[in-house]
Amino acid sequence: MTNAVAVHGVGTSHFGRQPERDLVALAWDAVHEAFTDAGVEEVDAVWVGTVFGPPGVAQRVLRAMGITGIPVITVENACASGTTAFAEAHEAVRTGRYERVLALGIEQMSTAFDGAITPEDTDPEGRTGLALPALYAMAAARYLHLGAATPEQLAAVSVKNHAHALHNPRAQYSGRYTVEEVLASRMIADPLTLLQCCPTSDGAAAAVLGPATGGSREVRVRGLALRSGVPWNHASPHVWGHDIVRDTAADALAAAGLADVADVDVLEVHDAFTIGEIVTTEALGLVKPGDGGAAAARGDTALGGAHPVNPSGGLLSRGHPLGATGLAQIAEITWQLRDEAGARQVEGARLGLVETMGGGVSVLDGNACVVVLLEAP
Amino acid sequence: MAAVDALEEAVPHPITVDPRPQVTTGPDGLPRVLGIRCRACGEVAAYRWPRCPACRGAVEPAEFGPDGTVWSATVVRIPVSGRTPPYALAYVDLDAGPRVLAHVLPAGGPAPVIGSRVRLAEATPTGDVQVEVVP
Ligand SMILES: [Zn+2]
Repeated sequence: MTNAVAVHGVGTSHFGRQPERDLVALAWDAVHEAFTDAGVEEVDAVWVGTVFGPPGVAQRVLRAMGITGIPVITVENACASGTTAFAEAHEAVRTGRYERVLALGIEQMSTAFDGAITPEDTDPEGRTGLALPALYAMAAARYLHLGAATPEQLAAVSVKNHAHALHNPRAQYSGRYTVEEVLASRMIADPLTLLQCCPTSDGAAAAVLGPATGGSREVRVRGLALRSGVPWNHASPHVWGHDIVRDTAADALAAAGLADVADVDVLEVHDAFTIGEIVTTEALGLVKPGDGGAAAARGDTALGGAHPVNPSGGLLSRGHPLGATGLAQIAEITWQLRDEAGARQVEGARLGLVETMGGGVSVLDGNACVVVLLEAP
Repeated sequence: MAAVDALEEAVPHPITVDPRPQVTTGPDGLPRVLGIRCRACGEVAAYRWPRCPACRGAVEPAEFGPDGTVWSATVVRIPVSGRTPPYALAYVDLDAGPRVLAHVLPAGGPAPVIGSRVRLAEATPTGDVQVEVVP
């Protein structure tokens, strides 16, 4: 006997560089909003996603808001930590282990890093100096070499997502940029320029999950999947991160009983770098192989297009506090499916998809990927 | 005595085991990367791991290189702890071997063209795998 599961409420802090606020304050903003949204005062368990900790951070922020005594579990899955917390919370409700569960993602990066995330010294590629932008730059350079994308198409993703964020007051950055301006911004790792990279951010995001009761504001979890990467090398014709997204999406669509990802009305995907959104839309099967960049340039994936991707502005604009990102994506799709997304609303959206992919462990095609399918009330 | 132990505990230890691929010199005097080959599925890796990362099969020691092809490459232009930008990095598919991440000679030079042939050089004094473009 298992339960159908719904998202009963969501909330987020503001996203951005806010070193003057601590994680207690950021987490409170997210949890207070999610509890108010769900109309609840308490939960039975909490899963917390965070990458850079520090140890004990989950209990430290939760005790400040009177959430003590119940099971608190911290998970780390790189950029997919928040959606991993969501996936575990979902499973706990689905199986009846707990009735009502909070999934919380938190990260404060401005106080931990001056610039890009420091590569992990115990990893071969981190120790070799492969900063995360450089890992994505390898994929972008390969795409350009194969003619699978142009520099202008890479830039079009940044133009699109920064324009989407104009309508998202919680986003760190927004703006009407031109392709030329994106390409002329400072080179970070060839061919990725500054405006093609997500900023360093602080933030928190939360969701309250429980059994679906058919309530008018409940967003049903139609299906989800989580995978960790297998070895990635010359045996794959694809760039790093493609195959794990493809395979996780196939699992999630099967769990949701959906035959075609094109049935999805609105998507929030992992665009930590412009090339990431291009590869992801191809891996999901939303566009044809090699057409991800062209689809962005044509406006297919813009608000008003056939398949709007990252109406929130994505990680590129909202910012990317690693542990919080996945739950901010869940919050955005929840608002979209409840017709509460204001000027960035995708008209009549009934089915939404969230995808988060985190990586950094050498040899593997990603540390973890989570894909979630959500359905309107 | 206890106080001295506590003090020593508080000092962070350096990472004593280098995680990067080890470069050795082959019988022909040319550099090789030490690794493994899976006896079950043929998977290769540039690390001396106890099992195959693809199928968990038994592995045997193997050496790879010195020649390979650039799968992709970039130039890192941002500050990274302990390094001086800009520096070029390449993913190199060693012939019949694994894909390895390498710095590109000459240091501070451009990224090699994707698809170009490269050869392992000796590791840097600090332990980075290096390649140079074969003329
Ligand atoms: Zn094997």
